[in-house]
Amino acid sequence: MHRIERDRARFREIVRGRLRSDLRKYLSTSELLGRRGEHSVTIPIPQIELPRFHFGDNSKSGVGQGQGEKGQPVEGEAKDGEGAGGAGEEAGHHVLEVEVELEELARMLGEELELPNIEPRGDKALVADGGRYTGVRDTGPKSLRHFRRTFRNALRRTIAEGLFDPRDPEVIPMPEDERFRWKKRAPKPDSSAVIFHVMDVSGSMGREQKDVVRIKAFWIDTWLRSQYQNIEVVYIVHDAVAKIVDQQSFFSLRESGGTKISSAYELLLQLVRDKYRPEDWNLYPFHYSDGDNWSARDTERCVSILRDELLPRVNQFCYGQVKSAYGSGQFKKDLDTGLEGQEKLVTASVNDRDGIADAIRMFLGKGR
Amino acid sequence: MAGKTELPPQLRHEAARIERIARAAGLDFGDVAFEMVDARDVNALAAYGGFPVRYPSWRFGMDFERLDKGRQYGLSRIYELVINTDPAYAWLVRTNSDMEQKLVIAHVLGHADFFKHNVWFQPTDRKMLDRMADHGTRIRRAIDLHGQDAVEAFMDSALVLDNLLDPFLPLREHMKVRAAGAQGGASTVGSSFEAVRERALGSSSSRPPTFDVLGFLAERAPLPEWQRELLRIVRAEAYYFLPQRMTKIMNEGWASFWHSRILTGGVLDASEVVEFADCHSGATASSPGNLNPYKLGIEMFRAAEERGLDLFRLRRVHNDASFVDEIVDEEFVARNALFLFGKNGRTGRTEVVDREARAVKERLLQDLSWGGLPQIELVDDDHAGRGELILRHHHDGRDLQLSHAAETLKSLSRLWGASVHFETREESSVRWISSDGAEIRTGERPYERTG
Repeated sequence: MHRIERDRARFREIVRGRLRSDLRKYLSTSELLGRRGEHSVTIPIPQIELPRFHFGDNSKSGVGQGQGEKGQPVEGEAKDGEGAGGAGEEAGHHVLEVEVELEELARMLGEELELPNIEPRGDKALVADGGRYTGVRDTGPKSLRHFRRTFRNALRRTIAEGLFDPRDPEVIPMPEDERFRWKKRAPKPDSSAVIFHVMDVSGSMGREQKDVVRIKAFWIDTWLRSQYQNIEVVYIVHDAVAKIVDQQSFFSLRESGGTKISSAYELLLQLVRDKYRPEDWNLYPFHYSDGDNWSARDTERCVSILRDELLPRVNQFCYGQVKSAYGSGQFKKDLDTGLEGQEKLVTASVNDRDGIADAIRMFLGKGR
Repeated sequence: MAGKTELPPQLRHEAARIERIARAAGLDFGDVAFEMVDARDVNALAAYGGFPVRYPSWRFGMDFERLDKGRQYGLSRIYELVINTDPAYAWLVRTNSDMEQKLVIAHVLGHADFFKHNVWFQPTDRKMLDRMADHGTRIRRAIDLHGQDAVEAFMDSALVLDNLLDPFLPLREHMKVRAAGAQGGASTVGSSFEAVRERALGSSSSRPPTFDVLGFLAERAPLPEWQRELLRIVRAEAYYFLPQRMTKIMNEGWASFWHSRILTGGVLDASEVVEFADCHSGATASSPGNLNPYKLGIEMFRAAEERGLDLFRLRRVHNDASFVDEIVDEEFVARNALFLFGKNGRTGRTEVVDREARAVKERLLQDLSWGGLPQIELVDDDHAGRGELILRHHHDGRDLQLSHAAETLKSLSRLWGASVHFETREESSVRWISSDGAEIRTGERPYERTG
């Protein structure tokens, strides 16, 4: 049914507007995680409600039907709009799900945080053919003729020539009126990118800290996916030793014990040398930790790996320090002093969920 | 709607047979136009309140989205949809089984009879399909002239007020017109009768005190003509749907009573009886926190029949509230295991509070009276000589959702162009909410007239 599709499209447009204005809220909740499919995210939004005069909470009572003595709990809360219960007017609590393309979500994120597009590294800015038929020009094949624009031009010309008669509105397009759609090329930095999510899973990283990491990783992935056609994600966890894990374990693992950050950096370096060579890949390591390292000596080692090996090879190295009750937060200070002036290193500290948006902006705001 | 919509020959034959049986049983209905549609289409129709020609609005898109998700996930299913027009249009869903189609046809005839005879439906416009199409054209034209955003914003602000109605107004006016017609001695010809009715509905509400706030605004609010027209449309449609709200239990009960009687009276094949029982009991199933209007309605008609009452008279003169008042008694409450539930303040659980018939009945009446809406009256349109409105909520023990009420008031104030004040109660204490269209103030009684 054609008509309902238009109303539905309008509704979805409104929802997108809502989503855009509420994006900050989604930036700090884990609501969207686990709702990501291959190309889109399903986002739960409360049904848009028009306020009305209607009965409120203390009318959460009514007449029901069934067995049970006084004081026995009633199973199944009164459903909206049903029964004679006072809830007749309360059609407001359904949750709707809307599907949003990942690309669109990334665009919203980009607008919200004012993220620049990523400049491809080096001179190997291969341009992949992309783009959509959103342009208009005055030559082209008949099959791509833009009907409305063509007739608008014809109408304009007819009026200008004084030939237009509203009682007999005859408009005949001439060749010069014709307009055609054409494909606007939207060059994307081609080639491939790999994201390394490296997380400290030592005893001091609690559930909340991991959630913060998780939300941050989700948005970073979303953004980088919109910037590269081909992207791989590698998950690494470390305590005193580092290992590669799958996505699921990355978010659920809880190791305990000491923290040797250098172990992760060494693993990274090995991967960069053997598998993801900088000539072929844009490299984005993200390291999340609460900033507690085993020893000052290990920290020194980390600094030197970064300075001599990793930083020259990667697009950008991001260190996000999540505040925890146990962590000293020393590592960020050490990086900042030890690697002062290194442009490719970005460090940010996140105190709580509200800080996620700022951290993401710091990480992705340089367009590297 | 894609594809053919006429019934296949065999079903057409069944429909004719069921119509004959229904008429023989005493049902009386006008023409019913049956059409077959896909499950998706019926959801679209339902989103439009049964009128495929309605004006464009995102709200219909939202309702459709919800209904269609429900269908896709297998959570909800619509079997049929029938609208109160002449002829009545009834949409049957293509995916129904043969047995279900028969049931649905009989059910629809019950509704058609109800529409034709129930007194609350007498004032409704049977040409509503044309009327809705006309509304659609007008609103589309407004969009062309004033832009989608402007029209949408105005419609949203008008729709939040669409339950500020007087449920008894249409019937009252209808009676007046009828009495006037009888006095004049002339039989009222269709069109002129319509015209009289139209005038009556238009002019009755221009002064407070009135419950027809929407009518008051449509007439008296300082609005540009196109907005006034939109407001009239919102009001006309709201009044059209009001009787359905006031008779939902009766209407569904009546239709279910008759589909059950007709089908078990020889229409079903022996092989279909179990499927029928399954489908029928599914539709009339009740769960504790949830009163099923089909179930309550059919039980009330059955009880009435046992008592030897005239069912056809009952379906003519009552609405849900008065019907409950007539039928529900101690025995009915006990037999149907009705109870009163409420929230236990201590545990936060919802639980059975009372099984006493009087309490149950009182609560039912409260829920059903006034069309299930809060009773809100416009009491003054020139408060303190400043042209400000005062509305009063007739509190019956059920509080309003105050934050929504405040937002609604804001909308109202923008339409009216001056401050509005609203008196309600929370538990037992009086609450005042005022808005000047931008801000909301609570707690203060508006200043009294000075001097």
